[in-house]
Amino acid sequence: MIGRVPNWIVWVVGIIACIWVIPIIGIVVTSVRPPADVTLGWWRLDNIRFTLDAWMRVWDEYPLANAFWTTLWITLIGTGATMLLTPAAAYAFHFLKFPFRRTILVIIINAFVLPVQVVVIPLFQLWRDTGLIDNILAVLIPYVGLSFAWSIFLVKNFMEDFPKELIEAGKIDGCGPLATFWFVVLPNSLSAIFAVGILQFLWCWNSLLLPMLYLRTTIPLPVLLTRVSGTYDLNWDLRSVAAIVTTIVPLFVFLIFQRQFAAGSQTRTGAKE
Amino acid sequence: MSMSAADAAARSSQLSSPVGGGRRKPVAVRRRRLGETPAAWLLIIPVLILFSITVIYPLIETIRLSFFDIKGLGKPKFIGSGNYIKLFTDPAFRNTLWTTLMFTLGTTTITVSLGWFLAMLCSFAPQRTLPFRVMIFAAFGISEAVSGYMWISMLRPDQAGLLNSVIGLFSPGFAHPWLGDPNTALWMIIVAASWSGVGLPLMLCFAAVQAIPKTVLEAAYMDGAKPFAIMRFIMVPLSMPGVRVAIFINLLGALRAFDIIYVLTGGGPVRSTETVGYFMYRESMTQFKLGYGAAATVILLVAVMVISIPAIIQRTAGAK
Amino acid sequence: MIKFKGVLGRRALLSGIAAAAMLVMGGAAIAQDISGELAILQWQGGVDAEMWKKLEADFVAQHPGVTVRELAITAQGDARGGIRTAILGGEKVDIIINTWPAFRKELADAGILRGLDDQWSALGLDTTLTQSWRDLGVSDGVSYGVPYTYGDRSGIWYKTSQLKDAGVEVPKTWDEFLAAIKTLKAAGYDTPIPMPGKYWAHGEWFESLLLRTGGVEAAAKLAAHEIPWTDDVVKTTLRKYAELLNAGCCGTPEQMFAGDWDLSADQIFKANTGNFLLLGMWMNARAKGEYGLTEGVDYSLFQFPALGLGHDDTSSVDAKELLATSNGENPAAADAFLTYIVSPEATKILAEYGYASPSSNADTALLGPVQQQATAAVAASKVQFVLGDLLPGDLVDEYRVQLQKFLQDPSDANIDAVTAAIEAKAAESY
Repeated sequence: MIGRVPNWIVWVVGIIACIWVIPIIGIVVTSVRPPADVTLGWWRLDNIRFTLDAWMRVWDEYPLANAFWTTLWITLIGTGATMLLTPAAAYAFHFLKFPFRRTILVIIINAFVLPVQVVVIPLFQLWRDTGLIDNILAVLIPYVGLSFAWSIFLVKNFMEDFPKELIEAGKIDGCGPLATFWFVVLPNSLSAIFAVGILQFLWCWNSLLLPMLYLRTTIPLPVLLTRVSGTYDLNWDLRSVAAIVTTIVPLFVFLIFQRQFAAGSQTRTGAKE
Repeated sequence: MSMSAADAAARSSQLSSPVGGGRRKPVAVRRRRLGETPAAWLLIIPVLILFSITVIYPLIETIRLSFFDIKGLGKPKFIGSGNYIKLFTDPAFRNTLWTTLMFTLGTTTITVSLGWFLAMLCSFAPQRTLPFRVMIFAAFGISEAVSGYMWISMLRPDQAGLLNSVIGLFSPGFAHPWLGDPNTALWMIIVAASWSGVGLPLMLCFAAVQAIPKTVLEAAYMDGAKPFAIMRFIMVPLSMPGVRVAIFINLLGALRAFDIIYVLTGGGPVRSTETVGYFMYRESMTQFKLGYGAAATVILLVAVMVISIPAIIQRTAGAK
Repeated sequence: MIKFKGVLGRRALLSGIAAAAMLVMGGAAIAQDISGELAILQWQGGVDAEMWKKLEADFVAQHPGVTVRELAITAQGDARGGIRTAILGGEKVDIIINTWPAFRKELADAGILRGLDDQWSALGLDTTLTQSWRDLGVSDGVSYGVPYTYGDRSGIWYKTSQLKDAGVEVPKTWDEFLAAIKTLKAAGYDTPIPMPGKYWAHGEWFESLLLRTGGVEAAAKLAAHEIPWTDDVVKTTLRKYAELLNAGCCGTPEQMFAGDWDLSADQIFKANTGNFLLLGMWMNARAKGEYGLTEGVDYSLFQFPALGLGHDDTSSVDAKELLATSNGENPAAADAFLTYIVSPEATKILAEYGYASPSSNADTALLGPVQQQATAAVAASKVQFVLGDLLPGDLVDEYRVQLQKFLQDPSDANIDAVTAAIEAKAAESY
């Protein structure tokens, strides 16, 4: 893209990527070989047989399709809410003056260190009192609320390099703070917002502890998949299938969102003329 | 941050296009203009409400609990600062501090430097390296409970383990219990955690590098700069914002790490791989000593605040 | 703490036949009266979850007026965290499935459990469960638990062909066992006992050795902390354990810490690099399912070798039990379910999934040959619950870590250090 690209760069990245993918190959191989053949390791070649048994069984025995939609639904709302609320708050913290700005910011950002386990029991009691157990709000509210610590940091950090001239230009044009946000800051922060989107999507999608405790009838994939393994029957073939099914969607989201980075930078280049 | 020439170029190039949109529309908005303070509150109120419910309220509960002695479902007993005093004399807790430091520094160094380096390489050929980026990012999306199992099988102590058999090609009969040896167990966990973590800095740094205006890079090329020179003098300084975020998220993620440790070593051998995050989980969820676990959480929070507040204040001060 | 000892006699079998007939009728009579929703707190996954669905469906078929609501707790690691969260959050259920005696006491102390002493005979439990099984479910002198399945935890699994090829007879005494280890090492097995020291399974050897050294009384007292961990019986036990380690049973400490029981099982039954595994009955399912071996032919188990210290008639066991709650909304249905779980129908379903039931209604002929062998061994022994599940949470953690330290250095000096460290923790845990 930039002038001539030396081939070795692609090679280096390619080789690292191939090493990186070894454990994932392991998961795929484990899902299509009979468990008895891979006990000593999925890479063993002493007895090569393939079976789709695990793929069929997991689909038959567990309501994967339902869980899939539940997960998608919860994740989309959770991701959307964060992507909307975070830039607004980050903008306010970065560009606007208001009392307690720093204090509130420090508190919010430090909250990232708070382990989810700490939140679990107080929230459980709160949801019981408000009748939200088994309602997707019981997980959506913490998904979004707990995301602010890192997402606001991420977006605000991006805004630090945001050209002040743009804001000033907006002001001269008569933009109020809200209009400046909407017309000037927001369109220029898309790559940060999409980065937040990818991360939030991934974390909502894979979240286990909260839905495990707060949801009963409609449960998302990770909870369902935890039930695939028994206390003593480990079912690694089924769990591998489950892991693949769970990981595919975030990968597509990554593929789609990552184009936004490229797109964002291209418009900037184009604007040079 | 110092303003380099490239930085200035970046800013001027960003100026032109979006402002076009900004210039035309606000005419309609001009009628009602909110002052800065009310506007700010309007923008952060939803965040504050959600944040209060999910963080502030549980946090206050945690602080309250940390003054109680709670064993499982038993009646909480107020013991004042008893939990804190006990924590500081608990060798298991003190031990976790060192392990946490090693784990946090180890994973953050590996993930961020590797992710950053890869991101810069990838940005020379974004299209051709896309499949590779997806491959590396995939590791980030797999739950640690499952990837942990893969690591266990690869790190098997006998000659059948993948790592042992690869080394065995050069030194026949090689068998090292990677996860059973206290000297290597923590490193293996760091490797496994870094393996899954590299996708995050890769993505963030890649976005940051992509945000560098192509014109700057093209100009460097015209001057005959080699890839490493471009990385050193243009990409490294200009992708710092992305790197900062990556470091931050990695650091704090490492403090909370639990799954990968639980699966690979269970905190052993002989507690040599227990981090603060693992300790908190063990005390509050497994043993359900909620008060004790809460006290550990509060200490960790205070430590992180002490470290991060100066940095945040400095940044917010500089931004205005 | 819980104290129990007892001989599982055959009295149960005799009285059981008569009781079975009574129960079927009794159950039918209750069926008319109960209705509404029965809430069961269930935390097991995989095949066990499937078995519970089947048991619940069968119960509903017998009692059409009742609907069962399963409060499914998905567990990651220790299920107790999830159960406690649900209970602290105010969830109310009628039945709790439990496998940790220490947790039963915790629930009882929190006032959640309903004592069953008054109803025990009305529910027909006195005829289906022997006194010693009843004793297993007692906390602080009150009967709470109705055990529905149990397993031998003093059985050592082995692969028959390995012993035959090495010319080793199944060892009956400790000396024979040590000799067998020597022979097997000579035959090329580096680690005759691939010790699973990663989490907890290295404690199994200590626990069976403790029973054989001090008997169920000493073990019960130790669990209740009526004798200190620095007591001679603990040290003698550890010295016996050290004999095993010094015989070169298990390789280096690093090797022991590297894996959990599944890795050890792989090494014996798949990689053929080890021989003996002291483990609970769930090993049976793995041997059949994962390795495709035939029960009783390709592999088998023998009871822990005799130490000759006067307590060789003891076995360590685990059990799962049902607890009735005091805050449940449908105690009548809960009672019916307690009766059901020891009924012939329920024990048959349990047997299908390879679980032995302590009920006199259970037909051991439905179990596989190795299972039968294990149940017979338990029936002939004085039993004691697995020590690890009897100890308070923070002590059990320390106990396992200190045993790891012992594995690193099984010298007399270190035995003193290790026992002193456990005792220090125990002093603050009770």
